[in-house]
Amino acid sequence: MKGKNFLYSQKVAPYVFVMPFIASFLVFWIYPLITAFTMSFQDIGAIKTEWIGFDNYTKLLKDKVFMIAVANSAKYMFYTLLLLIPFPMLFAVLMDSNIVKAKGVWKAILYMPALTSVVISGTLFRLMFSEYKTGQMNVISEALGFGTYKWLKNGWSGMLALLVLCCWRWTGVNMLYFISGLKGIDASLYEAADIDGASPWQKFWYVTLPLLKPTTIYVLTISVYAGLAMFLESYMLWAGNSSPNNIGLTIVGYLYKRGIEKNNMGYACAVGVVLLVVALIINFAQLILNGTFKKEED
Amino acid sequence: MKKKLVSSLMSMALVAGLLAGCGSGAATETSEGATETAEASTEEASAEEIPNATFGDANGTHLEMWTFVELHGQHYKDMAEVWNEQNPDRTIEITCTTYPYGDMHTKLLTALEAGTGAPDICDVEVGQFPNVVAGLDQWLVPLDDYASPYMSTMVPARMQTYQGEDGHYYGAPYHVGATAMYYNVAAMSEAMGLSQEEVIAKIDAVKTWSDYEALGKEYVDAIGEEGKYWTSVDTGGTDWLWLAMAEYGDDWTGGFENPANCQLDSVKNMLTMQQSWLKSGLAEISPDGHVDLEAGFQNIMDHNIVSFPKALWYMSRFTNYMPEEAGNWYIAKCPVFQDGQKCSVGIGGTGTVVTQQSENKELAAEFLCWAKMSDEGEQHIWDKLGFDVCNTAMWDKDSFAHDDNNQFNAYFINYPYDVLNEIGMDNIGKISVVAISPTINEYVCTTTLNEVLEDPDYSVDDALQELQDAVDMEQ
Amino acid sequence: MSNNTHQNLSHTPKHIICSILGTGFFVVLCGIISFPVIAGLLASFRPGTELIRKGLALDLDPTTMTLANYKYLFGGNQDSRKYFMWYKNSLLITVLSVVLTLLICYFVAYGLTMYNFKLQNLLFTLVIATMMVPFEILMLPMYKEIIALGLIDTYVGVIITGLCSASTIFFFRQYMTGLPKELLSAARIDGANEYYISVKIIMPLVKPAFASMGILCAMGSWNAILWPLLVLKGAEKFTLPIGLNTLLTPYGNNYDVLIAGSMFGILPIFIIFLVFQKYIIDGMTAGAVKG
Repeated sequence: MKGKNFLYSQKVAPYVFVMPFIASFLVFWIYPLITAFTMSFQDIGAIKTEWIGFDNYTKLLKDKVFMIAVANSAKYMFYTLLLLIPFPMLFAVLMDSNIVKAKGVWKAILYMPALTSVVISGTLFRLMFSEYKTGQMNVISEALGFGTYKWLKNGWSGMLALLVLCCWRWTGVNMLYFISGLKGIDASLYEAADIDGASPWQKFWYVTLPLLKPTTIYVLTISVYAGLAMFLESYMLWAGNSSPNNIGLTIVGYLYKRGIEKNNMGYACAVGVVLLVVALIINFAQLILNGTFKKEED
Repeated sequence: MKKKLVSSLMSMALVAGLLAGCGSGAATETSEGATETAEASTEEASAEEIPNATFGDANGTHLEMWTFVELHGQHYKDMAEVWNEQNPDRTIEITCTTYPYGDMHTKLLTALEAGTGAPDICDVEVGQFPNVVAGLDQWLVPLDDYASPYMSTMVPARMQTYQGEDGHYYGAPYHVGATAMYYNVAAMSEAMGLSQEEVIAKIDAVKTWSDYEALGKEYVDAIGEEGKYWTSVDTGGTDWLWLAMAEYGDDWTGGFENPANCQLDSVKNMLTMQQSWLKSGLAEISPDGHVDLEAGFQNIMDHNIVSFPKALWYMSRFTNYMPEEAGNWYIAKCPVFQDGQKCSVGIGGTGTVVTQQSENKELAAEFLCWAKMSDEGEQHIWDKLGFDVCNTAMWDKDSFAHDDNNQFNAYFINYPYDVLNEIGMDNIGKISVVAISPTINEYVCTTTLNEVLEDPDYSVDDALQELQDAVDMEQ
Repeated sequence: MSNNTHQNLSHTPKHIICSILGTGFFVVLCGIISFPVIAGLLASFRPGTELIRKGLALDLDPTTMTLANYKYLFGGNQDSRKYFMWYKNSLLITVLSVVLTLLICYFVAYGLTMYNFKLQNLLFTLVIATMMVPFEILMLPMYKEIIALGLIDTYVGVIITGLCSASTIFFFRQYMTGLPKELLSAARIDGANEYYISVKIIMPLVKPAFASMGILCAMGSWNAILWPLLVLKGAEKFTLPIGLNTLLTPYGNNYDVLIAGSMFGILPIFIIFLVFQKYIIDGMTAGAVKG
C-alpha cells in the first residue's frame, strides 16, 4: 500500500511520466551519440581504425566545399523561416475565420504534398524544373517570352527551386500546427475583445499572436533544424548528390558525400557534430530569448 | 480510483488494439476492392509466392543474395535451377532480395563494418566498389581460384576493375560496358538526302575525331535548322573524358599506387575539342547534364542530336524508353584522336562479391563465378539482361551474337556484337575506380565541366588546374 | 470560436466580399499546389514512355489515357502481390508506431509541463537537443545496438527507436503550456490521482494536438525508408517506400508501376488525415465548453 501511495504522490508522478523518455534517451540517443562523437576523432578505415585527434575538425575548417555547404544550408534555413512561418500562420488564421468556405477541401489539398512519397515528388519536380523545353517552368517562361532557362544550373534559380519544393511540401503541415494551436485559444478571449470593440487586426495582434506563441516557437525550432539539415529535397531535384558548382549542396548532403558515398564515417561524424552544435546554439539562443525555459508559475 | 486508472488504461490498450485491427482490416479491404476491379487472382500473399524470395532446392545449402536491380535477382534464380540440375550432390537454395540502389550499399557497408548481417553474395555498383573492396580479404572472398577456369577468355580490363589493392579479384562482372558511338541513320539520311546505305558507308568511314567532326558539319549544314545538333556534350558525366583517356592509354586516378593526375593531354584535348564544337554550333550541352535522364531521352527522340558515344548497356534505354526509334539507330566504333589508339572504354557496371561473413564461401564463390562467367551464364545475361558479356568466347558464336529473336539485335540496324568484335577485347581501355575516384568524379561533374562547357571561352588549363588542386586536398 | 462571434455579421455585403476574396485566395493557392499531384495522377494513367516523351504535360487527351498501370498493379501478378504485401506491412508499422508514439509522448510531455520539479528544465533541454542530431551519424551505433538487443529484422526494431519522438513531445508540451493549471488543483481537491487527471481531464483537452501529431507521425512513419531498410531483411518484410524505391535504379526506372503505385500509396495516409482532421474540430468544442 505504501509503495502505491509513493507512486501516486505529486512529487514522484512527474518522474514516472518522463521515465520512457529517460530510458529511450539513454539507450537510443546518448549511447549512439557518444559513439558518434568518439568516431569523429578517428580515421575509420575498413581494416584498421586510428585515433587522429582533431584532424577531422581542422580539415573541415579548411574545406572549401564544406563552407559552400554551410552557406547553402544557412541561406536555405533563413528563407524557409521567412516563408514557412508567417504565411502558414496567415493561412491558418484565415482557415479559422468564417470568411472561407469549403475549408475541408482546401486543408486536404494543402496537406496532400506532404503525403506524396519523396520518390515521386522528387521525380515530378525534377521534370518541372528540367532545362528541356517540356519542363513546366520553361513552358511558363517561354509563354512569357523569356525563352528557356537552365533552372538547375544557376545559383539563384537552384535555390528558388529548392524553396518552391520546400513550400510546396511543408506549407500545409505548418498550417496544420497553427490551426491546432488556434483551437487551443480560449474563445471567451475573442468575445471579450468583441465587447471592447476590437478590430479584426487588433484581435489578431493582441489575442491570436501572443496566444499562438508556443506553437510559433515550436514551428520556429523545428524549422531551424529542418532548414539546416535539409538534404532530401536537394537530392530529389538533382537526381543525386551532385549539383553544378555545388549550388544544391547542403551540410547533410556533404555528410552523405563523405560518410556514405566515400565511406569515411569519422569525417562524416565530425560534420554531424558541427551541425548539432550550430543547430543547438541557434535554437537555445532563440528559446532563451523568447522565454520558453521560464516556468510560468514564477 | 485505482480501478478507474486501470480500466482507463485497459480501454486505451483496447483502442490501440482496435486501431491496429482496423489498420490490417483496411489493408484487406483495399486489396479485396482491388481484385474486384482487376482480372483475377488471390490477394493472400505469402512468402513463397513472392518472386524474389527463395528458390532452388529447399534441402540444398542456403545462400543469401542482395541486389539493387530486380532483373539481376532473376538471373541468379534461373542460374540456381540450372546449377542444381548439373550438381545434384551440391544443390543450393538462394534467397535474392532487391533493395533500393543507394540504401543497399549503405546497408552492406553498415553490415560489413558491424561484422554481422551481411549476405553471402552481393551486387556492388562500380562507383561504390572502392568502399567495399577497401576491406580486402577481411570483408570479401578473393575470387581468383574460382574464376580461373574462365579467365583466359574474359575481357581483362573488366576483371581488373574489380581488383583489390592486393591484386586479388573480388568482384565478378556482368558486362564490359564497352563504349560505342550511336548514330541516328534515319534522321541523317533524311536531312542529307542520302540513302541509309550511303549514310552507313559515311559513318563506317569515320576513323578519327576530325572525320567525325567533318561528317557532323555536313549533317548540320544539310539540316540547317536551329536547335538541331550533331551531338551533345555532358556537364554531368565523365563518359567523354574516360573515352579520351582510354584512347591515349591515360588514367587520371593513377591506379592504386600513383597519385591522381588530372592534367592530362587526353582530357585537355577532349575538352578543347568540345569547346570548339559548342562554338561552331556542332554540339549542344546535354539537357539536364547527360543523355541518361528523361530530358536526354526526349532530346534524342526529338532528333535534336543524332550521334553520341555511350556504353552498350545504353541499348536497353532505347528499347525501354524509346520504342518509337526502333530501326533508326546504328552502332559503330568510336572515333580516335590518332590512328592505332584504343577506341573504347568500359563504363559502368556491377561487380558481384562474396563476403567473408558467408558460412559457405567456397560454394558461394564457385556458384557466382559459374553464374556470371560460364557459357550458360553469359548466354542468359545477354538474353535476359541485354549486356555485352565479358566472356569473349561467346562473342563470335553465331547462335549467340546473331539471334534475331534477341530484342537488341532486332532494334538496331546492325548487330551489337559485330561492333564488339570489330573493336576487339584488346582495344577496350580501362579507367581505375579507386578511393580517389569519387573525389575526381564529383569535382569534374559539379565544377570543371560546367566551367568549361557552359562558357566555351573558359581556359581548359585553368579548369584542370583547379581540379588538380581540389584533388590534391584529398590525397 | 470566432464563428459564433461573427454570426450576426454573416450576411452583410462586406462579409460576402471578404468571403469571396478569402475563398478565392484558397482556390488559387490550392490550384497551384495541386498541380504536381494532378500531373502525377494523370501520368499514372499513361504508359511510362509517355512521361519520358512529353515530360509532365497537363495533357487531358483521353486517347493516350489507359487503366493499364492500375490493372497491372491490381492484377494479382507477382508485382501486384508484392505491392500489396508492402502496403500491408507499411500500414501495420504506421498504425502501431502512431498509437504508441502518441501515448508515450503525451505522457512524457504531460510530466514535463504539468509539474514543477528539479530536472524539468534539464530534461526539456535534452528533448530539444535530441531533435538536432542528424540521424546518419547515429545510424551505425544504433544498428549495432539493435543487433545486440536481438531486434534485427523485426518490426519492433523498426518502431522502437522512434517511439519517444522529441518533436512530438515538444509539440505536446507547447500545446499544454496554454492550459490553466487550476484544472489540476481542482481535480486534486476532488480526490483524483495524478494518473487519472492526466488521462481523464487533460487528455480530452489536448485532442487537437493529438490529431495533428497523429497525422504527422503517420506521415513520417509511412514515408520512412532508411532505418526500416537497415533493420529489415527480405522482401516479405519490406515497407512501401522501400519497395517503391527498388523501382528506381541506375539501370532505368520502372515508371509504370512507380507512379501508379505512389499515387495509390497516398490513399491510406490521406484517410488517416481525414479521420484525425475531424478531431481538430472536435477539440474546438471541448475548448468552448471549458471556456
